[in-house]
Amino acid sequence: MTTVTRRLQPRRPLDNTRRPLERRWMHLDVVLLVATGLVAVVGLIMVYSATRNGLQDQGLDQYTYVRKQFLYVMVGGGLLAAAVLIDYRVFQHYALVLYLGVVALLVLVLSPLGVTVNTAKSWFLLPGGFQVQPAEFAKLGVIVMVAAYASTHEGDLDLRRLLVCLGIGALPIGLIYLQPDLGSVLVFVAILMGMLLVAGARLSHIALLTLIGVMGMVAVLQLDVLSQYQKDRLTTFVDSDDQVDGGSGLADIKYQTAQAKTTIAAGGLTGSGLFEGSQTKGGFVPEQRTDFIFTVVGEELGFVGSAFLVLLYGVIAWRILRAARLARDLFGTLVCIGVLTMLVFQVFENMGMAMGIMPVTGLPLPLVSYGGSSMLATLIGIGLVVNIHMRRFS
Amino acid sequence: MTVDGPRLRIGVLGVVVISLFAALLARLWYLQVLSSDEFQVAATTNTERVVYEEAPRGRVLDTNGVVLVGNRVSEEVAIDKANLSTEDRATALDNLSSLFGIERAELEDRLDDPKASPYTPVTVIDDVDEAKAIYIGERQEHFPGVMTRDVTTREYPYRSLAAHVLGYVGEINDTELSASPTEYRAGDHVGKAGVEKAYESELRGTPGRTVYEVDADGTPIRVKERTAPVPGNDLVLSIDVKVQQAAEQALEATLIERRSTATDDKTALHKADAGSVVVLDPKSGAVIAMASYPTYDPTEFVNGISQERYDELTSDDAGAALTNRATSGGYAPGSTWKLVTATAALRSGMITGATSIEDEGVFTIPDCTAQCEFQNIDAVGSGWVNVAEALQVSSDVFFYKLGYDFYTQRPSKSTDRNEVGRNAFDDTANELGFGTSPGLDIGGDAAGSVANPEQRLELNTMYPDKFPTRYWYPGDDVNLAIGQGDLVVTPLQLADAYATVANGGTKFSPNVGKEVRAPDGGPVVRTIAPRVSAQVALTAEVRDPIMSGLSLVTTGRGTGAGVFAGWDRATFEVGGKTGTAEAGNRLANGTRSKQDTSLFVGVAPMDDPQYVVAAVLEQSGRGAEAAAPVVRSVMGQLSGLEVTVP
Repeated sequence: MTTVTRRLQPRRPLDNTRRPLERRWMHLDVVLLVATGLVAVVGLIMVYSATRNGLQDQGLDQYTYVRKQFLYVMVGGGLLAAAVLIDYRVFQHYALVLYLGVVALLVLVLSPLGVTVNTAKSWFLLPGGFQVQPAEFAKLGVIVMVAAYASTHEGDLDLRRLLVCLGIGALPIGLIYLQPDLGSVLVFVAILMGMLLVAGARLSHIALLTLIGVMGMVAVLQLDVLSQYQKDRLTTFVDSDDQVDGGSGLADIKYQTAQAKTTIAAGGLTGSGLFEGSQTKGGFVPEQRTDFIFTVVGEELGFVGSAFLVLLYGVIAWRILRAARLARDLFGTLVCIGVLTMLVFQVFENMGMAMGIMPVTGLPLPLVSYGGSSMLATLIGIGLVVNIHMRRFS
Repeated sequence: MTVDGPRLRIGVLGVVVISLFAALLARLWYLQVLSSDEFQVAATTNTERVVYEEAPRGRVLDTNGVVLVGNRVSEEVAIDKANLSTEDRATALDNLSSLFGIERAELEDRLDDPKASPYTPVTVIDDVDEAKAIYIGERQEHFPGVMTRDVTTREYPYRSLAAHVLGYVGEINDTELSASPTEYRAGDHVGKAGVEKAYESELRGTPGRTVYEVDADGTPIRVKERTAPVPGNDLVLSIDVKVQQAAEQALEATLIERRSTATDDKTALHKADAGSVVVLDPKSGAVIAMASYPTYDPTEFVNGISQERYDELTSDDAGAALTNRATSGGYAPGSTWKLVTATAALRSGMITGATSIEDEGVFTIPDCTAQCEFQNIDAVGSGWVNVAEALQVSSDVFFYKLGYDFYTQRPSKSTDRNEVGRNAFDDTANELGFGTSPGLDIGGDAAGSVANPEQRLELNTMYPDKFPTRYWYPGDDVNLAIGQGDLVVTPLQLADAYATVANGGTKFSPNVGKEVRAPDGGPVVRTIAPRVSAQVALTAEVRDPIMSGLSLVTTGRGTGAGVFAGWDRATFEVGGKTGTAEAGNRLANGTRSKQDTSLFVGVAPMDDPQYVVAAVLEQSGRGAEAAAPVVRSVMGQLSGLEVTVP
């Protein structure tokens, strides 16, 4: 353990090291927190812009959604603080409990207690009209569990241990597939691949897993494992023809992606201006406040604003990677890598599908899309990273 | 874990992360900067809807400013089907059906008219009365998606008066639309005939244009841009509504009266089924009145006309009321043509005003073997007559002889004496406008035809089956000289030719339009100038004998003297020429398929002609019996001597 930690020490002293090592509050990653806060603020504004016209048309309070989103950010901030305050090694200790907890929730959501939204049975309905999506929290559970298991083997994952790691992932993946929520399944796969790479899986195993993954993908598309709707969503982006044809489900998805692309492109270099997007105001993009929130950024803030948002995510990714390298133990490193892959994959997939370079899967844009579960899970994840960074010397 | 450590693997992951963000930025750059223009267009067409609003059409006024075609605001029922559920649609149509007593299926058809724009409400019932409009407005829950709205429609205060001149307006058809795809849109109204068609660009105005920003459902969010419609200009015609009324009344009354008189051979009553009157100002070519019978009411076209009714209006069997016989009716001119023969003979020096020829009642073509005798209409001779007297009594023999002389003047074009060339007669007929369209500003004016040897030879060579006659015979010239034979003229051509002689040789293309005015009695925007189409050389030696001949017709032993008995010649001297033309084809039993055409062309006042009035009444007998009385009525109105329309 100690040797690993030494190897992860920075090659040159960082400014922070001049500060007293035991005063961990001096090692709070302000850059990461500010970047996270900025993205959340952008999200609030975008959710407001995406929903105000629709709400006004229905004669409802135009702040309905943004008010709820603000509540999520506040609660998420509290959970982030909690995740920072509790020493992350406590999570390592209770990893199995956390893991089994989220698995239990995933089983429960398939029971009559869960509700179906947009064809997927992924939600619990709470009093006050709040919905909870356990899959979002399951991501954190899997990250902590895999990190805990792999770190005990000090970066030496032979085939048996690798299979254990895969098994840890496979259980929630299987449960989520039953909902079905293909997007979340893909996030879990990305998290596992990223963590296994850093946890020290053999390169040959990684290559084999990748091969199996690709073949599995082809098989899934060829065999009748997926519904036609899912297949259409996955393959539409490959089809360059954006014409809307008829009223089939495929046409709906084509319409969705074509409108999303058009809306982003309509922003041009500098955008139409905040609350001035014609496509956004006209409600041309389905699911705009959730999965396609990036189209609002694209239209109203243009390339300048969109690139700024991408760079903010880049800053977040950079700070998490940095925390991964600075972490005092492999568990911390692996948790950071898990959070990193979770975030980056979702950002890339979400923006990519809005821009027509990735298949359409129902994934939120972390910290920006309207929705509580994703917001809370993401902020807790960031909290863990801050925690690991802060406690790197103690 | 010997070759690579976590640091290296984190580095690899970092590279992957950087690549993913770089891919996102590259795609963003491509979409938003490189190909933004094409997507901008897509976004604009997505979010913009342009709605056009037709401008109020300009009015049509008579020469004194009397409104001939106006606009009327009426209410129509329209349905906005864009956001209408199936149940609401059924409710609305059922209730409209019972309120207006129109079949539900009929309303369905109107609502689903493929020509209607999907973005604007579709008109399903025109011209609804106010009470029903209010009823609908007060019970919106029974009429979902139904609205009543004001529309301006064409209004014709004088109903059928001058219908053929005014024409009518209708919804644009595919052919018209493809001819001017940028100016018009489906559903627009466009002038289809007459003044409405010819002066479309003046009357139409400029449509208003509103650009709406719409949402994904097509519901307008806001108005981005709006230009108000610019009303069309008013058009003032040279038509005088009182003269027009006098002409139409006299024409109809005379035709009806002629139906109770027998033909010359006493075998039948006159059919007197159709006719026309043209009144021209010989000094400018302005059309003062133009009547055609039978006629129609352009109001029928206002809200669209049924195919059945349209077929009826255009069918020959039903009288073809839509046909303007004044401009497109083709007739043998009969003796009214003698003006042309006389002009040609005088111009070519064949005769002078003093030349007298003996009319024995019969003319026989010299050296002739078959069909050589040509008679006066009653086979009675007029004795020795000069050209003026020949016009007065309408001596056929006088003109037969001129016709034969014209034949002898034709240059022989081959050893065959029947292959001959043009002569002065052909030239004069063409110069006076026969064989070509007069060039009426509102169009629709037929060219008619005047046969000549060269044309006949050419037609026979090209279409031997259709034109079996190849050569030109003396009988052709003899027959042509009195306005029969291979000759088709229109009433407008006749009037225009008389006007040319009356004014001393200036031939005009007639105009119905006089000036364009700004809407609602605004200032004159444009004056429609008279158009001279030709100058015909007419010396006093040519014109004077003809004019005195025309004067004599309405007096003494003139063919029109009886009709003009009691007319105040001193105040307003009317001259003219009668014509009785054989019509139709000769049948096996020796009779003809159509009864004689009655023609009269009047000129007045003779000392300084201001009016030429041509009347042509089909199957109505002799010129003096039908057409001449019509001309007298019109002249009575024009001169103020015998006013029928106060």
